[in-house]
Amino acid sequence: MARMKFYCDAERCIECNGCVTACKNENEVPWGVNRRRVVTIKDGEPGERSLSVACMHCSDAPCAAVCPVDCFYTTDDGVVLHDKDICIGCGYCFYACPFGAPQFPDNGAFATRGKMDKCTFCAGGPVEDHSADEQRKYGANRLAEGKLPLCAEMCSTKALLAGDADVVSEIYRKRVVYRGASVLSRGVSYQNATLRAPSGLKGKASSRE
Amino acid sequence: MHRLWPGLVLLLCLCSSLNVAGQTGSEGIAVPNPGSELWREVRQRSQPLPPGGQSEAPGLALLQEIRQRRLSEMPVGRSQLAGSGAGAVFINSLGDTWRRLRMERLVPIGGYLLGGALLLVLLFYLIRGRVPIRAGRSQHKLYRYSPYERLIHWFIAFNFILLALSGLILLFGRSLLLPWMGPQLFSAVASASKEGHNLFGPLFLLALALIFLQFVRRNIYQKGDLTWLLRGGGVIGKKHVPSNFFNMGEKTMFWMLILVGGVTALSGLVLLFPLFGQGRELMALSHLAHAVTAIVMITVIIGHIYIGTIGMEGALEGMRTGYCDLNWAREHHDWWAQKCEERGETVSAEDVARARGEVSPAHIAEERGR
Repeated sequence: MARMKFYCDAERCIECNGCVTACKNENEVPWGVNRRRVVTIKDGEPGERSLSVACMHCSDAPCAAVCPVDCFYTTDDGVVLHDKDICIGCGYCFYACPFGAPQFPDNGAFATRGKMDKCTFCAGGPVEDHSADEQRKYGANRLAEGKLPLCAEMCSTKALLAGDADVVSEIYRKRVVYRGASVLSRGVSYQNATLRAPSGLKGKASSRE
Repeated sequence: MHRLWPGLVLLLCLCSSLNVAGQTGSEGIAVPNPGSELWREVRQRSQPLPPGGQSEAPGLALLQEIRQRRLSEMPVGRSQLAGSGAGAVFINSLGDTWRRLRMERLVPIGGYLLGGALLLVLLFYLIRGRVPIRAGRSQHKLYRYSPYERLIHWFIAFNFILLALSGLILLFGRSLLLPWMGPQLFSAVASASKEGHNLFGPLFLLALALIFLQFVRRNIYQKGDLTWLLRGGGVIGKKHVPSNFFNMGEKTMFWMLILVGGVTALSGLVLLFPLFGQGRELMALSHLAHAVTAIVMITVIIGHIYIGTIGMEGALEGMRTGYCDLNWAREHHDWWAQKCEERGETVSAEDVARARGEVSPAHIAEERGR
């Protein structure tokens, strides 16, 4: 069986938040819940990078380990899903998850947590495929249709990759090799790309120095 | 001449590959060879990291930087979805620490501690048995707890038991109850526990405050308490150790309850209302503090309940009826009993029974007729 993985290429992500929008629309998640988010580090500084973060579908998922009602399970595709009929909304998975994937609708009194919601790798949930129940509780089930998660499918720069880990890593390996070769042969440095003064520009940008 | 060419090419290739492998080739010939230089680069980078942990790989350095961030430095980035709870934190290493502390320390150690406390109480009961009123029951009683004091005691008592049970279900239920309850039923039980815990949790803080205000004056340590401690509260040996209204053990339990219980209640409030922008880190820390203090408290309260009920004859009466037996008071709270007797505050057991309506009207009529 495949082992499904996300991979976000920091050299390609342009923080357009297209993945966030695609996810929200496809899965129709409630207000206040964002299964995916884009985080930018060194914003506005040299070396700025953005990454799209959601559930990473860990092999040894911390959320599953700490859940007091044991509502998590891993599918044959390596997708970590949970049963909302079992979930009690305690928030322990939220404390344990390194990526901040579990989200809680806070429409209860005093912002008490409802049932947890997180990225399903567009694989629905533990109810009948494509049923109304599944759509309402878990959102889309694109995997059952032979499609990949919409966030990755709609990524404009193909920064966000989703699919079988072997395929994803092969694509990324090729990118790394091409980049490494171009760094060494043509002096293109991705690390220092934003530090270089634009050579063809003689206007305001270069006159600041 | 033509036959020599392939051999020459082979020789050249060998030389160049040897140069690359040894990295000691002469720098004389400056022919760019991106392919071999890339491999050299790769080989250099795959060497083990220096002791400082810093590698030249920018990605690794960045990852290390992110993972080493402390609470005060978070968030490391910025996200347009600031309200999503996780905010702009990439990787929260504390989450894994919390997971290990909960699953590998809290659950097993807490379980052994509570199980051990129950076992210890059982062993103590089997060995020592019930502590009797040695002089037997007297015909006199002392007024020990007012209705208000009894009210707040039973308020905090039932509140505590409810919170302890629901909390223990959340902590140990997965390993103890889930296997035989099944996921559906256990989910309902756990959900009820969570909601009940949330509902009655804040009342504990109120109860704790009321208990503190009412009993603090009688729980200040005084001169005889050290003697009580040194003689083990009368557990060792047969002789009873004199004490005031509360003995040293009760006082210690009071202060433990106030301080440890205070931490439990306040950390519980942090967890209960996740709407003041407290982050994951604070909530994970609060959860640990909450669980550790709660387990300590439950362990101590197991001892308290034991002594108050089956462990000692006459101990429950004070808190149940408000009056305690005079002989019991003499044996366990000698100084207080003396003070009461000097002030002539003893009442007859029959008066108490009558006031509480425990004597039947027929009995009273019969008495009057005599």
